[in-house]
Amino acid sequence: MISDETLMLDFQRGSRPAFEELFARYREPLYGFFRRRLGSGEAADDLTQETFLAVIRATARYEPRALVRTYLYGIAFKLLSAERRKLGRDQPADVTSMSSDDSDERLWVRQALDRLDANDREILMLREYEQLSYGEIAGLLRLPLNTVRSRLFRARMELKGILAPARGEA
Amino acid sequence: MHDNHPIAQEELMAYLDGELSPDRAATAAGHLERCRECQDVAADLQGVSRRLRAWSVEPPSLQITETMAAALAEPRPQSRDRISRRSKWLIGLVAASVVVLVLGSVLPKMMNQAAKAGAVARVVRSREMWGQSAIGDLITTQKPMIAHSAQLTLTTAEFDKARGAIEDILKRHKGYIGHLNVAAPAGTGRSLDATLRVPDDQLAPTMAEIKRLGRVEAESQSGDEVTSQYIDLDARLTNARNTEQRLTDLLRQRTGKLSDILAVELELGRVRGEIERMETEKKSLVNRVDFATLNTTIREDYQALVPAGPFSTLARFRNAAVEGYRSTVESVVDVIAFLLSNGPVLLVWAAILFFPARFVWRRVRRNPTQL
Repeated sequence: MISDETLMLDFQRGSRPAFEELFARYREPLYGFFRRRLGSGEAADDLTQETFLAVIRATARYEPRALVRTYLYGIAFKLLSAERRKLGRDQPADVTSMSSDDSDERLWVRQALDRLDANDREILMLREYEQLSYGEIAGLLRLPLNTVRSRLFRARMELKGILAPARGEA
Repeated sequence: MHDNHPIAQEELMAYLDGELSPDRAATAAGHLERCRECQDVAADLQGVSRRLRAWSVEPPSLQITETMAAALAEPRPQSRDRISRRSKWLIGLVAASVVVLVLGSVLPKMMNQAAKAGAVARVVRSREMWGQSAIGDLITTQKPMIAHSAQLTLTTAEFDKARGAIEDILKRHKGYIGHLNVAAPAGTGRSLDATLRVPDDQLAPTMAEIKRLGRVEAESQSGDEVTSQYIDLDARLTNARNTEQRLTDLLRQRTGKLSDILAVELELGRVRGEIERMETEKKSLVNRVDFATLNTTIREDYQALVPAGPFSTLARFRNAAVEGYRSTVESVVDVIAFLLSNGPVLLVWAAILFFPARFVWRRVRRNPTQL
């Protein structure tokens, strides 16, 4: 399989199929990134589109220093921050506006995440849902690697405590 | 981390996430196998991850939209253009300083200006020959355009170090990895095949640094002169753009029959396709010149393990003695561990059963026929 970085360089040289392949690979992960943090499918769709538009417009500025994945989430993270500033809130998801098809387990998980410290939650979500490495998270959030590791551990342990009562109910 | 745990709980988590260095990961794996407490922590961490996976999201409905298609169709500046824009500022500043110096100097320098005017006149004459765009590019590419490439094959005993050093070298020389493949087949050394792209003027220093990573087994360099190819391509591109303009004008006038208009539209589509193809080719050519290609192969110095021959009788006795000693120690440790872990329970049961047992024993001793 052609690497993301090769595709990006091909796209930089003008190959549209290369962009289409990147779009196919990252459409769903980026949508999930926004969807879990904004709680609205429509907003997630819009911001996913914005991310790809930013990639298209900034093709010339792309330098193969980091993984394309990190590059894309870097753009997505900036767009998310702007959107949150616009909405005037700093929540990962609007729990109150969840859809009716949310299962009890999903609802419980979302509420548990809501109770974490915002920074710890972001690190945890980037690791668990976006599957970013510690180094990538550190780069994205501009934190030292050890801070990422200790906060991730703290978030997981805290979440374990919050989720524990649900075991009895399950 | 304390005496009983050679790794901290955070490290244990990093091990489960695949984020530990190989040596620490081996320590973590060994410890996790025997430490009940750490097994519980690992189970908790994995349980949290499992629970989080319950929050899945629906697939997106987004496809490539018209806005994105329009953005894709727009001409995008190449990184080279961006650099040249930045450079233009610098050149502008330098030029302004030169003008100030020239104006403040005396006649001989004015004569120099006249010589420069002659050069401009030559450029204008050339413009008539090549057309606006081609000469514009010729002015910026006065030197021959050469696409450099090189091959390097090395062997090294420190393969991991070399692998990491390549990225550092590229970072220093502002290059990038076009392709990289590491193979680690069983029974032989590892090998790395990489296509590295470095700015043309950085090829020699990059090669010099890479060569220090091991013993050079093969080295070659080549240069492909593409100046004429570039000029030819640029001239064809200018012609195609002129044709496109003429066809667009024809369509705008719309004086012919419908079949003629359709024929013009068809031709216009073909010409535009041709222009796109040539633009891509031109960008690719410029990229080949700006970035040299360095194909690198690094092989690990590998020494196969020689299987040990049959042991001597003395060695077998010694091994048996060591084995016997180890078994003895292990059985004693097992018994002590058993007593420590089950001793309290045994004591409790002994205390509970002592009196009934004594009672039964006395009864039996007095009258054995009762049982």
